[in-house]
Amino acid sequence: MKIFICCKQVPDVAMTIQIKDGKFISEGMNYVLNAYDASCVEESLVLKEKYGAEVTLVLIGDEAGKEALRKGLAMGADNAFHIMDPALNQIGSQAAAKVLQAFFKGRDFDFILTGKQAQDSDMGLAGGILSEMLNLPYVTNAVGLDMADNKVVVRRQGDEGVEVIHMPMPSLITCSNDMNDPRIPSLKGIMASKKKPMEQLSLADLGLSADEVLRESKKSSLKSFSLPPARKSGAKIEGDAQTLVATLMEKLTKEAKVL
Amino acid sequence: MISEMARDFAQDKVIPFAMHWDQSHEFPLETLREMGQLGLLGMTISEEFEGAGLDTVSYALAVMEISKGCSSVAVTMCVNHLVGSILQDYGSLEQKERYLKDLASGREIGSFCLTEPQAGSDAQNQKTRATKTDRGWLLQGKKAWITNGTYASVFVVTAVTAEDASGKKEITAFLVPREAKGLILGKPEHKMGQCASNTIEVTLEGVELPLDAVIGGENGFKVMMNGLNSGRIGIAALCCGIARAAIREAVNYANERVAFGSPIANLQAIQFKIADMVTSLEAAELLTLKAAWIKDSGKNYMEAASMAKVFASEMVNRVTAEALQIHGGNGYVREYLVEKLYRDARITTIYEGTSEIQRLVIGRGVLKKGFL
Repeated sequence: MKIFICCKQVPDVAMTIQIKDGKFISEGMNYVLNAYDASCVEESLVLKEKYGAEVTLVLIGDEAGKEALRKGLAMGADNAFHIMDPALNQIGSQAAAKVLQAFFKGRDFDFILTGKQAQDSDMGLAGGILSEMLNLPYVTNAVGLDMADNKVVVRRQGDEGVEVIHMPMPSLITCSNDMNDPRIPSLKGIMASKKKPMEQLSLADLGLSADEVLRESKKSSLKSFSLPPARKSGAKIEGDAQTLVATLMEKLTKEAKVL
Repeated sequence: MISEMARDFAQDKVIPFAMHWDQSHEFPLETLREMGQLGLLGMTISEEFEGAGLDTVSYALAVMEISKGCSSVAVTMCVNHLVGSILQDYGSLEQKERYLKDLASGREIGSFCLTEPQAGSDAQNQKTRATKTDRGWLLQGKKAWITNGTYASVFVVTAVTAEDASGKKEITAFLVPREAKGLILGKPEHKMGQCASNTIEVTLEGVELPLDAVIGGENGFKVMMNGLNSGRIGIAALCCGIARAAIREAVNYANERVAFGSPIANLQAIQFKIADMVTSLEAAELLTLKAAWIKDSGKNYMEAASMAKVFASEMVNRVTAEALQIHGGNGYVREYLVEKLYRDARITTIYEGTSEIQRLVIGRGVLKKGFL
């Protein structure tokens, strides 16, 4: 069984996000493997242990992407492809899907997993667009995977409960981080990851030109970033019990108008 | 990546429970087993004996992260590592097969018994005796402040095997299995800090050992000193971890606590404290990593390890005291982590060689070799 996981490196959400003039300041940020993608890796490794599989990672990104791939390899993935090209800096979901379409052209796989979204932009688009481009059956928000009768049994978190869907292969599945608790790589895994194959590909290797990527990029564009407005501090009421109740009642009836 | 892995582990498996372990004095055995499975308990042990085969720099970085989560877990890790290192450096193939794999993988835990009720810094003056018998060795004596004692499956025990006319003692190291008859394990001590680590008194009441229980042959003193030297790098790293946690707590508190109309972080008195705290932490980390690097390059690291240990342990005592000061009265109560960190730091200038002993090592070493 061949499983491919499309990964992304994202800024470490534990760090403070800085935005200046509508632009995200990437300087000094640590980049890590997107948590949703880490869940894909974990689930694939469980399937691998159960049924046997080859788990391959693919990532579009600059140098920082290598660390994210290394993390997935250290967890136990078998090999990785790193698509790196100056024309791919700051691309959106549409262009990313185009690049991945080119990557998967002619490749043999049973199913593709990807996080249902990335922690940085939370767009959640690339998986859907890619499935359309590759003409693959597609299911979102998986919270569990298993195999039966040569199909992928996907437990999907729907609006009203968990749906169980039998997906034919090949297909594309986007995964939730509620699916599992990704393993912490062991030190042996970390050491072994250095020796695992990580192939670097450029746009030319995929038979794409910078212009084609640019054309896709233009279909949607990200204008600016801003931080959510700071929360207003709450009002503090002071005084004895009678004053407290009276003031609170007044506020609830006249200001908030909830009573 | 090793730091990141240790940090992730501490974040998920250590930090959420550290306050509970401290207050309940619970020894986190399950957590240690998990650390073993990830390779954190045998980091510098060769892969042949189920270790991770890494260098001392990696080890120090990992100890810093684990200690940032909980120094009790870190000291347990350090002592287990110390016993593993002694086995790796001095053990026979048979001894390694029997004990090292279990220690490196965390299936079992090791303990190091040197200090005695009347012999701490004055280790040469230890009273535990080992006498040769027809069948092997007979050990008699008492060991104090033994980390991991209740949970250890093997104890490295030093004992006097001979004494010359001038009173100079020959010290030999022995591997004592937990099940040895006459090995009596005392009750856990009630300590001021590092409460989730285990510390007991170990009594050797006529413990009979076979001839091959000796580790390192005639070089018992060397086994002991090398063990302590390399252990000092681990403890220096442990100090850096506590300090990092204390500074994090102090910075968060200073940014939140309002006094005189704005967060106290805006006061120069606080800014200067934080500046001194991070600067001294940075210096301690560099000394620690330098000592680890000298060890990895195969050179004599005795003074470097002592410098790292004395500086880092005194640094963490200052830093945790200042972090507590920044917290004001809140820092003095158990609801705040800084209170625990302050208590945890206190032992570090005492164990693994007191500050006074470290200064002796550094001073004598430098004066003997000369200084250019």
